[in-house]
Amino acid sequence: MEDIIPKFNYIVVVVLMMTGLWSMLAQGNLIKKCIGMAIFQTGIILFFISIGAKNDALIPILTEGANHTFDNPNIDKVTNPLTQILMLTAIVVGVATLGVGLALAQKVYQQHDSFDEDEILNNQTK
Amino acid sequence: MIKHLPIFIVLAPLLGAVFAALTSWYRPKLSFPVVLSGLFISFLSSFCLIFKLLNSESGIIHYQLGGWGDKGEYGIVGIQITVDYLNSLILTAVTIISLLTAIFSSQSVNRELAGQQRYFFALFSLLVTGLLGITITGDIFNLYVFMEIAALSSYALIAYGKGRSYMASFNYLIMGTMGACLYLLGVGFVFVKTGTLNIENLSLLIPQTLQASQAVFVGFVLIIVGAWAKMAFFPMHGWLPNAYTYAPTASGALLAPLATKVSVYAMIRIMITVYSIDYVLKSPNIQTAALLLSSISILVGSFFSLTQTNLRKIACYFIVSEIGYMVGGAWLANDPGLKGAVYHIIADAAMTSALFMVIGCILFRTGQVELKKLDGLFYKMPITFIALVITMAALIGVPPTCGFFSKFYLIQGAAQAGTWHFAGALLISSLIKAVILFRIIEIGYNKVPNPAKEGNKTIPRDEAPLSMLIPTLIVTLSLIALGIFTDTLITDFIAKALPEIPAP
Repeated sequence: MEDIIPKFNYIVVVVLMMTGLWSMLAQGNLIKKCIGMAIFQTGIILFFISIGAKNDALIPILTEGANHTFDNPNIDKVTNPLTQILMLTAIVVGVATLGVGLALAQKVYQQHDSFDEDEILNNQTK
Repeated sequence: MIKHLPIFIVLAPLLGAVFAALTSWYRPKLSFPVVLSGLFISFLSSFCLIFKLLNSESGIIHYQLGGWGDKGEYGIVGIQITVDYLNSLILTAVTIISLLTAIFSSQSVNRELAGQQRYFFALFSLLVTGLLGITITGDIFNLYVFMEIAALSSYALIAYGKGRSYMASFNYLIMGTMGACLYLLGVGFVFVKTGTLNIENLSLLIPQTLQASQAVFVGFVLIIVGAWAKMAFFPMHGWLPNAYTYAPTASGALLAPLATKVSVYAMIRIMITVYSIDYVLKSPNIQTAALLLSSISILVGSFFSLTQTNLRKIACYFIVSEIGYMVGGAWLANDPGLKGAVYHIIADAAMTSALFMVIGCILFRTGQVELKKLDGLFYKMPITFIALVITMAALIGVPPTCGFFSKFYLIQGAAQAGTWHFAGALLISSLIKAVILFRIIEIGYNKVPNPAKEGNKTIPRDEAPLSMLIPTLIVTLSLIALGIFTDTLITDFIAKALPEIPAP
């Protein structure tokens, strides 16, 4: 148990990413592929947030009562802001990709009346 | 003004995209000139930058976004833009080809996507922004963002093709997102160990102090595999042929030469600058695997191109095999191999661009590019046909063209590293391309008897309009020009761009 608890975030990350990857590659349904994509990205976001987190750390904003200054920061008591900022960008990218993916899936559905990859392939080769 | 030159390269097409989308509400016809001027400014800036670079002593130009800079003990803070000999060449190639493709595509877009030109050109400009951003940035996370900008606009550009292009674009989206996510994960691993994302900082940290770190090694593998998925390297090449075949002519002409090559550049940048050649040489398992995969990639691309009947699909499978050339050359990790790989990025961008432009010209006039329906093409479109033959000759590697020199360096590199399967794959793929060239000549020139000799029977000349023909000819002639000036290119730019490689 003592081995698992400190690494719990990373175990969740691995589970999420593997679920997402499996869903993206092995599922035949286009919507399930999109869902897998979103799960995969969530896993990566959680990974980045986990590497920036620290025990008992606060947000990286200097406030009145904080016992550190800009020039002499108490690094142990603030989370790493960089990973969080990076993930803001990654979330935006992920949402945009998901949007484009769903739009394309909808177009495919209008053409073939199906989300199933095999059925679409059969339709296309006919 | 001159200090801010590097940012203009990325900013001009970005603003072009925004203004093209905005002005189109007011007057739709304005979007094309706006995009064109944006690309032209970008081209001029990259050209000036080359001269600035040649005059500078350090051979590297830094630009700090937003005035953030070197904070002494904290290292470099903020996003940095870096221009050196390696990416200045690729920047110029991207800007020239995108400018010519924009001119080339105006007519075919008017016909194929009537009423949607404004959105198309806005996306076109956005894609160029992404590609230039990947090339110019000095920050590995910024590279991811630009990668996704380029990828998102290319999904939309491909989906403009209607019909099967939706499904092709969807497959590309799944593969591309997977690649980008793996890349991002790799960046995370590197960031954990180094605490920085700046390429220059990383190049100081990783090769010296973190050689043995497992996390950094995992990051390396993830970044490389992510880049492979983006560039359609075997076995992740499945999306490419359909995506580029069913895309509109103009999208194909822009995406095919640039999108994959820029990913190859990103891979080479990570390999030689962030991780150093030493690091690559110290992971022999991956090197062997990469070389084997590139040989397979070359062979698969070549053999599949032989089975296709559609000229556009043949060209797409050529891209798969050319990717094998560049990845293989880079992973040989010796001097001629890397020179060949970097030179081939430029050469292949020009060759693929010429090929897709020629195909675009034929499509514009005849509406299809099925091989068996191209009979008598020489009499109908003589200039286009000659351009096609020159391009194919370059792809095979006939001496005065650029294809010969890149293959020369690559085979030399393969011989030096003793990787004979790679050299063999290169030669086989050349032979297969020669077979396809002769098939094209047979169909286009010999199949129909010469109408001049028959007397009464003539095939009317029907060339593509000048706005398509001139860019095609410029790119085709540049294949020969690149071949003639190989020596200048290699000694003045590529040799300076590459780090010193320990002799075997």
